[in-house]
Amino acid sequence: MSLVERLVDELKPLGGKPAEFKRMISVTIDSEHIVEAVKNAKTAGFEMISDIFGIDYLNYPQHQGKRFSVAYNLYSISANERIFIRVNINEGEVLPTITHLWNGASFMEREVYDMFGIEFDGHPDLRKLITPEDLDGHPHRKDFPIGETPTLFNEGRFIDPAAFRSGLTGQDAGLSGHQGGMRKGYRTDANEEA
Amino acid sequence: MTVKKPSDFGAEVTAEQVMTQPGVTVTDMPSASEFETKLMRLNVGPQHPSTHGVLRVVVDLDGETVKRIVPQIGYLHTGFEKTMEHRTYQQGVTYSNRMDYLHGFGHDLAYVLSVEKLLDANVPVRAQQVRVILNELNRIASHLVFFGTGILDMGALTLFFYTMREREQILDLFEMVCGVRMNYGYFRVGGLSRDIPEGFTDAVRQFITGFPKMVDQYVGLFAKNDIFVNRTKGVGVLSRETALDYGLTGPSLRASGVGLDFRKAQPYSGYENYDFDVPTSDKGDVHARFMMRIEELAESLKIIEQALDALEPGPVKDPDRRISLPPRQELETSMEAVIFHFKLATEGFHPPRGEVYVPTESARGELGYYLVSDGGSMPYRVKVRVPSLINLQSLEPACIDGVFADMVANIASLDPVMGDVDK
Amino acid sequence: MALQDLFEKDIQELENEGILFSSLEKLVAWGRSNSLWPATFGLACCAIEMMQSTNSRNDLARFGSEVFRASPRQSDVMIVAGRLSKKMAPVMRRVYDQMPDPKWVISMGACASSGGMFNNYAIVQNVDSVVPVDIFVPGCPPRPEALVYAVMQLQKKVRGEAFDQQGIELPMVEGWKA
Repeated sequence: MSLVERLVDELKPLGGKPAEFKRMISVTIDSEHIVEAVKNAKTAGFEMISDIFGIDYLNYPQHQGKRFSVAYNLYSISANERIFIRVNINEGEVLPTITHLWNGASFMEREVYDMFGIEFDGHPDLRKLITPEDLDGHPHRKDFPIGETPTLFNEGRFIDPAAFRSGLTGQDAGLSGHQGGMRKGYRTDANEEA
Repeated sequence: MTVKKPSDFGAEVTAEQVMTQPGVTVTDMPSASEFETKLMRLNVGPQHPSTHGVLRVVVDLDGETVKRIVPQIGYLHTGFEKTMEHRTYQQGVTYSNRMDYLHGFGHDLAYVLSVEKLLDANVPVRAQQVRVILNELNRIASHLVFFGTGILDMGALTLFFYTMREREQILDLFEMVCGVRMNYGYFRVGGLSRDIPEGFTDAVRQFITGFPKMVDQYVGLFAKNDIFVNRTKGVGVLSRETALDYGLTGPSLRASGVGLDFRKAQPYSGYENYDFDVPTSDKGDVHARFMMRIEELAESLKIIEQALDALEPGPVKDPDRRISLPPRQELETSMEAVIFHFKLATEGFHPPRGEVYVPTESARGELGYYLVSDGGSMPYRVKVRVPSLINLQSLEPACIDGVFADMVANIASLDPVMGDVDK
Repeated sequence: MALQDLFEKDIQELENEGILFSSLEKLVAWGRSNSLWPATFGLACCAIEMMQSTNSRNDLARFGSEVFRASPRQSDVMIVAGRLSKKMAPVMRRVYDQMPDPKWVISMGACASSGGMFNNYAIVQNVDSVVPVDIFVPGCPPRPEALVYAVMQLQKKVRGEAFDQQGIELPMVEGWKA
């Protein structure tokens, strides 16, 4: 039995639900048992934490279940195996931190907080990591706009990339809606400027 | 005025007496530990002489000793992951190499491998070999910048010009292949965009025969230099446990004694066919991290030579028309080819739903793209596991209780690239 | 003009001897153009190409940019090389304000000139909205030869030999007209 299979069996009594896709094994677990699960993984032989990241399933087609999913990407150097331990949570729920197990989880959890707004209880320094201080909101959420601005040229010409792309893919016009959602053209008010 | 000695005073002299009473000086105080000292908070701002980009570090100093160090990042945040959600999979190749611009092919390879895993694409052998050659050449170029700027940060200028001279030769090779020196758009999902030109293999062979002498030149310039050795030996020691605790990967981890290299552990793109070693060191200091990359240069040369010898003529794109553009001649005769071309060029392909992750070894550590696909033409979520962001956390244990000047050497040895850190 | 006040006596002497004042301006401008010291403001990939332009093959030092001063108080030109994120913009403005007059700005690369391929919430779409730019260099990244050409164009502008699209001569430098 490989290390991953042993760990999956260990996690089943905690409520872990395994899944496999293209030889990648993931175990979904509740937020109450996540610290214990990760600690079991560490003692079982997964010495290295590779990544902690979040996914926002708001616009995922036919998605049932909670909105966010936080995945812990653990790797075992000695056994050369990888496992993803996932937690599904809704907005406003708080996850416990694992910085006491690995100090390296500190930046990773801060990034999840910065990008998704998921708080980690017990983190020594939970604040924004890479976005500016005056940016309100959490950029990687699906309801945060990408912030595309139309490109304005000197003589009044403009190009709106969001509208252009929506024309290709058939999705809604971009959030800029500049000049009535036209892909490109000439600004009506620029003639006075020039 | 006579000079008073500590024994002239009956009671102990306090700092307040020194500040308020005339004639009582600092030298009258019983011992220096009476002094109330505060830590000085120094901001090494985003714009600074070190050439490692916009990294801001806030240090608390006690004299010259670093007591607390907090890296503040985000000054180059570009929103790559969110932007890639609004571009098709094929357009993602233009974004991936701008993250770690020094090892652009490494990011391109990691992204393209993830998409190909999602699609179950068959990449032809020739494409895999060319990818390996370009990846290793880029690793050499990245390590050359590491040496040049690392030694430049420590005050020596000459090595910078030497390494940049070699790097110009490597960039000439890249220009021969894809037309750009940096920020390439050469890899495609399913292979390469076009075959390598004639004369490329000869030029690469010429380069790798002349390169080991240059490496000896570099080693002769700095490895035995007293100043370099004193500044780097025993400095910033990261033990094996600390390195694993902080999530360090890459050459810095191998310098701390853990022989983890994803090219050997989980081979991709044909790396299992090549014979190379994974050098490790158990010292864990800055000197070991520098020397580790010298040895990696030699290993990369070995891989390039083996890949060049194994290169055989063949296709460079996955023949599946749903992924790769059909060749020009087919468009003149076949209607299906025109339809495939139209769909690919305007909308792009639609991978099946799922989530994949392929770990690769970049010049800085473990690099992987976690792709979540919802069946559309654009990825639903792209999460890049960047090595530099996680390696930067090791700055703290390496610098604590060291001198401030060692902090510069530590930052240089951990080799952060801010485009990688801030994504 | 500020320079005129400085050299009042000498100008009168020279004018009495028949030498036109404008040649002194030209001399100073020529001296300035051949000794433009850049401030290191490398941000991203363009910074690497800027470094490459100082190496032995594309030598920027032969155009006078011998040293890249780390301190903005000792430099003339700020080459904004790379994508400017919104978190970095106030820092850049402070560095620009610390540079003494006369100063120029070269906006290197597509990201600095127009936001480049990043049209999103995090990147300033044109560096001109933060600092006044003199020369825009297109490219992603621009080749070192392109940066050298940009420095040559800036030298022309400093000397007063630059013309805009309509053929009107561009003013020599902002800091002169005091």
